Parts: sequence; C-alpha cells; structure tokens
Amino acid sequence: MIELKNITKIYEVNKNNMVTALNNINLTIKEGELVVLKGASGSGKSTILSLIAAISKPTSGEVIVGTNRASKLPDNFASDFRRDNIGFVFQKYNLIPTLSAKDNIILPLVPLNLDVKEIEDKLEMVLRMFHIEHKANQLVKNLSGGEQQRVAIARANINNPKIILADEPTANLDEKLSLHFIEMLKELKRDGKTIIVATHDPLFFDLDIVDRVVEIHQGVLA
Amino acid sequence: MRAKINIYLLEYAINSLFRQKYKSFFIAAVLTAIIFLLTSVFFITNSIKHELQSTVDSLPEIVVQKINGGRHYDIDISVADDILEITGVESAVARVWGYYYFENAGVNFSVVGIDEYEEQYKNSFAFVAKTLDFNKQSMVVGEGVKRIMNNNYYKEYFNFIKPDGTLKRVDIGGVFSGDTELESNDVIVMSKESVREIFNMPEAKATDIVVRVANKDEIATVASKIKLLYPDSRVITKDDLKISYQNIFDYKSGIFLALFVISLFTFFIIIYDKASGLSSEEKREIGVLKAIGWRVDDVLKEKFYEGFIISFFSYLSGVILALLFVYIFKAPLLQNIFTGYSQLKTSFTLPFVFDMQTLALVFFLSVPIYIAATIIPSYRCATLEADEVMR
Ligand SMILES: Nc1ncnc2c1ncn2[C@@H]1O[C@H](COP(=O)(O)OP(=O)(O)O)[C@@H](O)[C@H]1O
Ligand SMILES: [Mg+2]
Repeated sequence: MIELKNITKIYEVNKNNMVTALNNINLTIKEGELVVLKGASGSGKSTILSLIAAISKPTSGEVIVGTNRASKLPDNFASDFRRDNIGFVFQKYNLIPTLSAKDNIILPLVPLNLDVKEIEDKLEMVLRMFHIEHKANQLVKNLSGGEQQRVAIARANINNPKIILADEPTANLDEKLSLHFIEMLKELKRDGKTIIVATHDPLFFDLDIVDRVVEIHQGVLA
Repeated sequence: MRAKINIYLLEYAINSLFRQKYKSFFIAAVLTAIIFLLTSVFFITNSIKHELQSTVDSLPEIVVQKINGGRHYDIDISVADDILEITGVESAVARVWGYYYFENAGVNFSVVGIDEYEEQYKNSFAFVAKTLDFNKQSMVVGEGVKRIMNNNYYKEYFNFIKPDGTLKRVDIGGVFSGDTELESNDVIVMSKESVREIFNMPEAKATDIVVRVANKDEIATVASKIKLLYPDSRVITKDDLKISYQNIFDYKSGIFLALFVISLFTFFIIIYDKASGLSSEEKREIGVLKAIGWRVDDVLKEKFYEGFIISFFSYLSGVILALLFVYIFKAPLLQNIFTGYSQLKTSFTLPFVFDMQTLALVFFLSVPIYIAATIIPSYRCATLEADEVMR
C-alpha cells in the first residue's frame, strides 16, 4: 500500500521564487492497483512519482510505501528502497545513451556484486518479457524511441519490483507504439504489480485494466 | 558485502573512461608526462647524489699545490719527502697530471701519470697499474675518452701534440673503469714519464702532492703543519673539496627543485580543474544511477575505480618512460644540465640507483591525489537529491 498524507511540496527556485507543486495532498493506492494520474503539464504529477520513489522529499507530510516511510529515509536507505521496491520508467527514459541496451538494463544490479549467472538470468527474462532481445547489444543512442522505452521498462523490472511508476510513457510514441505499451502494462498488472501512470494522454482514461483515474489540478487533487 | 572484486562495476568504470575517450586520453597523457618528468628528475638527482658521494669518498685527504701570485705552479718532488717526515702522515705521493685539450673534439682529457711500484692514491689506479704495460708507450683510457677517440678515427693509438709542436704517439692499451663514472670517464692513465713528456714537465717537478693521514682527526693539524713548512703552498683538505662539490651540486638541485615545483604546479592545476566541477552530463548520470538504486558509496566506488585505473596506468607508464629515458637513453636534454656539474664536455652515464622510496614518493604524490580529485566532486553531486541532479 502506498499512502501520501498531507503532502505539500514547495520548490525553492530562488529566494523570491517559490513554486508550490503539491498542496496538502492525500492519496492511498492499494497493492496491485493500476492508477492513472491525470493532469495538465505542470500540475504536479511527476512530483508525486518522485516522492513515492523517495527521489525527493516532501516539504511537509508523510509518504509511506509498504513498511517504509519513504519521506523519512536517510540517503543510503532511500537508495536501497528504490532498488528493491521501485521500477521507475522516466519520462525521458534516463538511459545512458553510450552504453548498450543490455548494459543499461543491468545497471540497477551492478553495485550488488552478483554472480554472472544470476545477472544473465534476470537479464534474459526482462529482455524476453519486453521484446528487446534482438537489440540487446546495440548502443541505446542508436535505438528508436519505442525501443528505448522498452529498454527503460526492462531496466525498471530487472529487480522484479512490486511498484512500477511510469511518467508520461506515451508522450514520445505514436499510436501503434502506445498500444504496445498498454499491452506491456497488462502483463505487469497480471503479475500483480502496483502501477502508477502519470499522463495526460486520453488513451489511458477508459482502459479496462485501469482501476482508478486520479485527477490533479495545480497541485491539488480533484 | 562480498570481498571479491565487482567485475560489473569495474567494467562500468572502464566503459565510462572509454566513453569519454578524448578526455581520458588527455588526462592520462598529461598525468603520464608529469609523472615521467618528476620521476626522471628524482632518478637523476639520486644518481648524481650517489655519484657525488662516491667521488667525495675517493678524494685524497690532503692535496698540496704550489701557489705563486694566486696561480698554481708545478711543485718540487722533494716536498713530498719533507711532508712524509711530519708525524701522522701515512703517505705523500707526488702526482703528475694535467688537462689535455683535444681540439678536434673540443674536449678536455685528464691525463694522469702513475709509477709501477709506487703506492697508488686511488684503488682504481692500483688496478690500472697492473694492466698497464710500462715498457711500451701505452695508456689506459676512460670509456668517454675511448668513445671520443674512436669517433675521431683513433682506434689503436692517439697522437698527443707536445708544447713544442711535435707529436707523441701513445697506444690505447685498455679501457679504464674507475670507482665512479664521473671520475673515470674523462681520464687517461699512462706512465709518469709519458705525462712529463706530453706536458713538458721536468723530472724534479710534480703537479701536486697527495697526502694520506692515518688518523682522520689529525687532518687539520697536518694541513696546518704543511702550510707552516711551505708558506707558498695551497693545502686543500677533503672537507674543503667536499664543500665546493656540495656547492656545485646544491646549485644544480635548485634547478631541479624549480622543475619539480613546475611539474607539481601543473599537476595541481589539472587537479583543481577536475575538482572544480563535473560536466552536466556527468552530474545527470550520477543522478540517474542514484534514482535506480545506487548508493552514494556505489557511485564513489565506481569513481574510485575510474580514478585508480587512469592514474595507476599513468603512473606505470610515466615511471617506465623515466627509467628508459634516464638509464637507457642517458637523459638527453636533461643530461646537458649535468655536464656543467662534472666540468667535462665528455658525457657520462648516470649510474643506476634503484630507489623504492622515490617510486613510493611519486606514487603518493600522484595516484591518491588524483583519485581524491575524482571522488570529491562526485561525492558532492551524489549526496544531492537525485531529482535535483537529474533535471
Ligand atoms: N526541481 C524543481 N525546481 C523548481 N520547480 C520545479 C521543480 N520540479 C518541478 N517544479 C515545478 O513544480 C510544478 C509541478 O511540476 P511537475 O510535478 O513536474 O508537473 P507535471 O509532471 O504534472 O508536469 C511545476 O510548476 C514545475 O515547474
Ligand atoms: Mg511531468
């Protein structure tokens, strides 16, 4: 279960310029739920995902993910928390363009000092699951947008996390590829993952796999 | 955490260096050059120190010269007998030697005369005395001399031009190696008789007198007694010589120090540049790594590998280059700085002095400092919120 309690997030751009990205938000997401965060650009969707992933801390309020108080985790614990619980598909994918697809995908496992066999097994599984085996050895910068996204999703799933966060996943895809993405979502949902998709793409609003659409306007939930 | 090396992390670090290959190559090249320069300077200084020490060790305890009007004249051989009478004196040997200027090569040779049955004032000469054929017109030459003579087509003999313009032919009977390269390189040893002929020196005269004193503490007393006995003499003790040698050397080490400081300075400029910031790409990459679950110490470990690989590689290449440069190629260019020191125009080989301390010093001046300079900015970046760093 993911809980956001009285969350306010204020970005301090500089001394005279404060942006209130989230204003006293309360949100609960159950395990296995697929929630769509709907809102215009700048409404605060990405900020919510960052807080859940403990990539940033709220100005006030509390974020609880399962047994972890994500908003209170010291830095190294936050890293461990992300590695073990969160698969984040960033809006711009955040891949390392000069590494191969394969090397990008195993990146979260690199510090763990696992056996080669263990890493190869996990890699093979996500490569197959997200249909990117044939591009495994190519440099990411030479891949198409759709392929890059599949690499990003494979990376997010390499450690088999319970929670998948996807930020504007179809923003850079044409309709056919967007439908592909939805197919992959279905598979993840079937695996019992908790999924949050931040988007303003209408494609998501009345999908049967979506449990709930949460609307956000200028940092306030509708 | 397991103790074995994380090959994936290592691979990532190597990859990361190759991804920025121009930058990595540039840093490695500059680091190598600095380490090369530093190590070369240390090697040369060590070798010269070693050489100087041996030279000073082999210097005679007291040298007596005849002085008139501030200039050095040949001294009467009978003075040696008088000096032998002084208590505490173990031996007094009249030396016959001089500098012969070989015009074709523009080089001075030190021509030293020895007697077959005389006690030699240098160990190395005792050895030469055994190999030298005193009946023939023959000489034993230092390696530098041999080289120069060969280059001027004197393979078997050499023609000395006497003061009256006539020639004296002397055969090259052997090659001489002294206690130190520095002292033997420009030396020619032959019979005293031949030396007298070349420099037109009468039988009763000598160039100077070398005095050996049994008890080191008595050197000063003996020296002042000689001075009393012969007020027109200059009495030089080993300590005087040591000081003047030391002075020449200290002046040279000043140059080295300057070179040393310059290389350090360059090094720190690079370090400074490195420490002052990461490119936005590097920052973003650290942010991404943290966002997907790397800890701060994972990022630092990776940066450590990067820094270690590049600086240790540069250290090894710099040291190997310096070894080749100094001991195999005889330090061209830098060598010129020493020819002044040795007062010769013949070049000499630097003796090989292997010194772990030098290698360790250069290591600690380069590798850890470079690694720290790589890690510190990464640490600053890695401890920021990943969300901030990524955008
Ligand atoms: N790091 C930041 N610094 C300053 N302002 C920020 C930062 N991140 C987001 N914001 C601001 O917070 C608001 C919400 O942003 P965001 O959560 O990215 O919205 P969305 O994802 O819905 O487009 C916007 O006004 C945005 O400009
Ligand atoms: Mg956004």
